Amino acid sequence: MDSALATRIATEFAAAMPQLPAAVRSAAQRQAAIARLAERGLPDSRDENWKYVNLRLLEKVRFAPADGATTPALTLAELPPRIAGYARYTFVDGRFAPALSEPIRYAGVRVEPMDHRRAEASAQAQPTAAAEDSLEGGATAGAAADLRFALLNDAFATDGARIHVAAQTQCATCIELVFVASSAGKTAASYPRVDFRVGAGARVGLIERHVSASSDANFIISAVQVQLERDAHVQHYRVQQTGARAICFDTLNLTLAQNACYRLYGLNLGALSARSTVHAQLMGRGSEVGIFNVSVANRSQVHDTYALVEHVAPDARTEQVFRGICGGRGRVAFNGKIVVHQGAHGTDSSQVMRGLLAGAEAEIDLRPQLEIYTDDVRCSHGATTGKLDEDMLFYMLSRGLDRETAMRLLKWAFLQDVVARIEVPELRRQIEQSLARELNEAAALKELL
Amino acid sequence: MNMLKIDNLHVSVGDIPVLNGLDLEVPTGEVHAIMGPNGSGKSTLAHVLAGRPGYTVTKGTVSFEGHDLLALAPEERAHQGVFLGFQYPVEIPGVNNVYLLKAALNAIRKQHGLAEVDAFEFLTLIREKMQVMRIDDSFLSRGVNEGFSGGEKKRNEILQMLVLEPRLAILDETDSGLDIDALKVVANGVNLLRSPQRSIVLVTHYQRLLDHVVPDHVHVLVRGRIARSGDRTLALELERRGYDWLSEQAA
Repeated sequence: MDSALATRIATEFAAAMPQLPAAVRSAAQRQAAIARLAERGLPDSRDENWKYVNLRLLEKVRFAPADGATTPALTLAELPPRIAGYARYTFVDGRFAPALSEPIRYAGVRVEPMDHRRAEASAQAQPTAAAEDSLEGGATAGAAADLRFALLNDAFATDGARIHVAAQTQCATCIELVFVASSAGKTAASYPRVDFRVGAGARVGLIERHVSASSDANFIISAVQVQLERDAHVQHYRVQQTGARAICFDTLNLTLAQNACYRLYGLNLGALSARSTVHAQLMGRGSEVGIFNVSVANRSQVHDTYALVEHVAPDARTEQVFRGICGGRGRVAFNGKIVVHQGAHGTDSSQVMRGLLAGAEAEIDLRPQLEIYTDDVRCSHGATTGKLDEDMLFYMLSRGLDRETAMRLLKWAFLQDVVARIEVPELRRQIEQSLARELNEAAALKELL
Repeated sequence: MNMLKIDNLHVSVGDIPVLNGLDLEVPTGEVHAIMGPNGSGKSTLAHVLAGRPGYTVTKGTVSFEGHDLLALAPEERAHQGVFLGFQYPVEIPGVNNVYLLKAALNAIRKQHGLAEVDAFEFLTLIREKMQVMRIDDSFLSRGVNEGFSGGEKKRNEILQMLVLEPRLAILDETDSGLDIDALKVVANGVNLLRSPQRSIVLVTHYQRLLDHVVPDHVHVLVRGRIARSGDRTLALELERRGYDWLSEQAA
């Protein structure tokens, strides 16, 4: 890391520290994160897994969070439409906003803001003594290097959602978290934070959205920790739809116990620059992770996703599916890595990544990686990037569809490989509408929506 | 009046000449069969007529109802009523069969100043044609040719033809890979479309389709030219004698 940047982060932290809530992270935890950051530095573009995202944007932003005193007067109408049956918890610039939230109480599900002074019902808010460790600290050395952006959140976090789901809870339609960024990145950063723990045998659906309240260039650094006990099943939808000038870094760290099953649907639509780092550890025998990602980038947008899955226990499964469309002068990268550790026999993994170039200056980089340290595994991978399939295009033209319609349909079909997996119909509709807008095809695709 | 008139057509694929001065006239209302050995240029002819990229016309003209067909983009040819039944129909997962066909029909109707067909009307129409082609209901919810067997793909081509009602249908080896029952279904579909206002060009390697769709004329393509033309008995003669004698004559 640039030493000027390191100094600036340290200075901003020292100034902000007295106002940062101890209920979210203790002073000691925060200082430890900053010390670790000073020691390790942030990744730079020479780092193998950080070649694509534009890290120079960091020179133009402030790291200290917004003070929360100037929270804008947002209304519910400015937020994405609610999904029926899902409790909603909204955070503005990383702070819980009760007025924009509509909690639903489900037996066995406890959701509370980490900064419990802000909890809407004090009875519900029992400080869990900031129990969670830093994301980066808990990871293996190899993985930790790529989780360093989470250290910024560990140091600066202002609030977050702490979600604990009791064992055997059935709540497939459950919680929606909306993180709204409103501050301009040159004045303050936004720190969404989630600690999500799912007890044995529970089934939960979680929607996590990131949006912008203004056209300012927001600076967003999120950290999400997920822990699944044995036999837990989670569907986690992450929708990144921040503003056209937003700069986002997110880190998701995940551990799965025996027979736990976790599906992540990553839908990247917004931001000027969005870097997503996912680290999953299959710790329990027979556990299963699915990572289904879509990126649509235009103009000069950059979407960079790195998904590392570590098979520690035997008989676990991984499926990674990526679809990216890149137009304009955009850049889309998906780097999916699967490490099969010694003893993780019976591993079954597949990686299928496909990119579609929709502009002469667009760039897509797909990288399936496998590291295998045991025998008896089944690992397959494939990655292809190209233009629209000429045979498909000609077939449609020969039936009388005009070229634009045919190309639009093919792009649509391309994304459906992932989008069709979204099991929440209302969310799927919203995503399809957003994709149609992103592809500039809203009117033409109206019949499909 | 000729629906299709091809004059001295020369076509290359890359640097390789495939059609070498092909002449063909198909009058309105007639069914013509184009036969010939493998590599004689049958499929090239079908694709050139539909406007597939990758084929270079180096010489000659093609007129369709008196207009220069080669000047039109593939979609414009479709709008004017040209239909190609593909030998190998492509699978397009994610694009629904019904959606594609409805969009195609409406694109063509729009060119003729007709109102769009609404979803209900269209469903009624397509169900009727599906019955003719013995295609079951699951077709409605599937992607274009997605997971179809070879025979299902061919039946889908004819289904599309029945819905789009082209003026000139070019069917490229629509009979290949069909068992006898499927062949009869396909032939029945083609026969339904026969009319005094419509012309059909059947490109085929074997004569068995012609037992069910009886052509007005048969042409044999050898090395990129029509080596012989005749009535349907020519097809029977080819069945008996093969193509070699014509190839030798052409050489």
